[in-house]
Amino acid sequence: MIGCYLTGILPRPKELIKVTRAYDRGKANEDELEEAFENATVKVIDTQISDGFSYVTDGMLKWQDLFRPFTENLSGVKMGGLARWFNNDTFYRKPIIVGDVWRKKSIIEKVSYTKHQPKNLPWKAILPAPYTFVQLSENQFYTDETELMFKYAEVLQEEIKGLARRGFKYVQLSDPALVYKPTATSMASDNLNFIGEALKLAVQGVPVKTCLQTFFGDFSEILPGALNFTVDHLGIDLYETNLEKLKKHSFDKGVALGLVDSRSSLVENEDELVTVAKEIVGSIYRSKICEVFICANCDLEFLPWEKAEEKMKVISGVTESLKEEFS
Amino acid sequence: MKKLFPAQEIGSLAKPRWRVKGYRGEQLSKEEKAEAVNWGRKLGIANLSELVKLLGEKASSNRRKAMLEWSAKYAIRFFESAGLDVVFDGEQWRSEMYEHVIRKTAGFKFLGHVKSFDYRYFDKAACVDKPKYVRPFYFDEFLFTKENTKREIKVPVTGPYTLVDWTFNEYYEKKFSGEFGDFKRRKFEARREFLFDLIKEVIKPEISKLVGSGAKWIQIDEPAATTNPTDEEMKLFVKSFNETVKGFNCAFSLHNCYSNYKVLAEYACELQNCSQLALEFANRDSRQNGIGNTRKGYKEIRLLEDHGFRGNYGLGVVDVHTDFIEPPELVRDRILHVVKMIGDPSRIYVSTDCGLRTRTWETSFKKLKNMVLGAELARKALK
Repeated sequence: MIGCYLTGILPRPKELIKVTRAYDRGKANEDELEEAFENATVKVIDTQISDGFSYVTDGMLKWQDLFRPFTENLSGVKMGGLARWFNNDTFYRKPIIVGDVWRKKSIIEKVSYTKHQPKNLPWKAILPAPYTFVQLSENQFYTDETELMFKYAEVLQEEIKGLARRGFKYVQLSDPALVYKPTATSMASDNLNFIGEALKLAVQGVPVKTCLQTFFGDFSEILPGALNFTVDHLGIDLYETNLEKLKKHSFDKGVALGLVDSRSSLVENEDELVTVAKEIVGSIYRSKICEVFICANCDLEFLPWEKAEEKMKVISGVTESLKEEFS
Repeated sequence: MKKLFPAQEIGSLAKPRWRVKGYRGEQLSKEEKAEAVNWGRKLGIANLSELVKLLGEKASSNRRKAMLEWSAKYAIRFFESAGLDVVFDGEQWRSEMYEHVIRKTAGFKFLGHVKSFDYRYFDKAACVDKPKYVRPFYFDEFLFTKENTKREIKVPVTGPYTLVDWTFNEYYEKKFSGEFGDFKRRKFEARREFLFDLIKEVIKPEISKLVGSGAKWIQIDEPAATTNPTDEEMKLFVKSFNETVKGFNCAFSLHNCYSNYKVLAEYACELQNCSQLALEFANRDSRQNGIGNTRKGYKEIRLLEDHGFRGNYGLGVVDVHTDFIEPPELVRDRILHVVKMIGDPSRIYVSTDCGLRTRTWETSFKKLKNMVLGAELARKALK
């Protein structure tokens, strides 16, 4: 199957930016802010539907950063200062682990807009993966990072099961720290085993499809170890990955190919992307092609909304061409 | 400078309401006019009645130009009155460090707002053609400052590496499309060409005008220096700095802040003609007086020293992101702690962590006054 979907937070459309800024300056109230979020969410969902996306997200417009619902709603976690989000000019609030981490209630429900998601298309949710959560948090409570990672994996499993009960069919775990060079180079293969175990715990018994989405780094660096991860799909940032090295490996699970660059405003040439995708698919699936999703390499929020909209059309166009190729 | 611990600022100072509204041609309230007059008196600004008259006039290009000059004059006097030895104009002529340059240079197009964090956004541009120098963007501001102070001048210039890092690179990525099979390599090569074209076509011509008109010290502001902490990118950053300053008879320094100094330390020695590293430290430090373990915010100086950096430090002793007014004794101890670490007091300039644009003038003035007093206490302690 060839499909497509989003892999992260979408940029806020202009109208929403205007209201959030007004709210920040005390010139708009809570109701006006909520109305603006609702309207913008409807808009970004409609865009995904009209572009023929296989799974639909609510755009995550309310998420201030990937961790925020967790820093705000998990017991044992408090919100720290601003820190740079990898090698980007955006920032997140560091989760500070100050006590035993547990899930007292649904974590992402308050920032989700499931009421606007379509009834006839499957829904996708995106959550931080265990390794990235631990790497980007400040642990003041557990004796070591592994203990925190497994504790968080338990929390994730509960959250994913909760999402499944609410109707979600697909959950992506975002794991940029796993491949981002300054954090990934210190990772021994033993660590990769621990990471795989934590991931296994997070997705154990969950009745949804799962994907480990990596970005901001070279996925080929964690091969072949990553092929043993117990997820249905592996997400790859093709703008950071050595493509020749990637093509040398044989995959037996699905992939999410980050073919569209969220950190560049240049709109890609669809024909070139189709060629690259065909080469990769032809190389990594030597006997049987598994599920392939075409997507952006990371959150599209690094672009203004209008550019993100154009890039979503490219994702859709490439997917359609590949469907014809592989039908 | 012969005096120990000369005091300097980093660049920006908040723009007063009368400057912002005055520049836009908006009507000012009584309170806003009074603010202009009160600060004018406090700073000993002459001919205040002219400013008051100007603030009542209709919007025009002359009024806009005059507003820049008045606010620059205020900012220069502000720094002088606080007792700084090295000054500029608080960047009163600039909208902001990035936009100011990009809007005055050909080859760029602003695409819209992207999120910085929470409900904060920044207007991000794309390079859509080869960058071209159209008109000076710092030159007139420098000349004005030079005419209005007798103190030493340090001109802050936004560094090319940061400008490139904060800009989408459409023109060069398109140019390289199809040239490399690997997207990563293509993006890097496109970035490299953008960077060195920008240096050659835009940054060096501006520096040339500044130096030709008497600029003796230019500070290259590179907040993005360690954003991409790989060896390849850090080497690119170093090369860009060296290329920017090459061939000019002028002192250069580097300002970097809220960054990874462990990474910077490894490459600092490779920066050529870099007389000073002006870095943020106070933000990382405790507020307790004392020398030694208390001064945890300055530990990265050890890394810089161990890697062989022997230039001067623009030592951030004042935190610009808090209204806490550092007592002179705390400033003194921060200085003396670093003197003990590096052994040579003549390598230290006392400084704010970064520009003061997010603080009110009242807070900034108190902070700077205490910074100067702290430097004086440190000099006395060493006698």
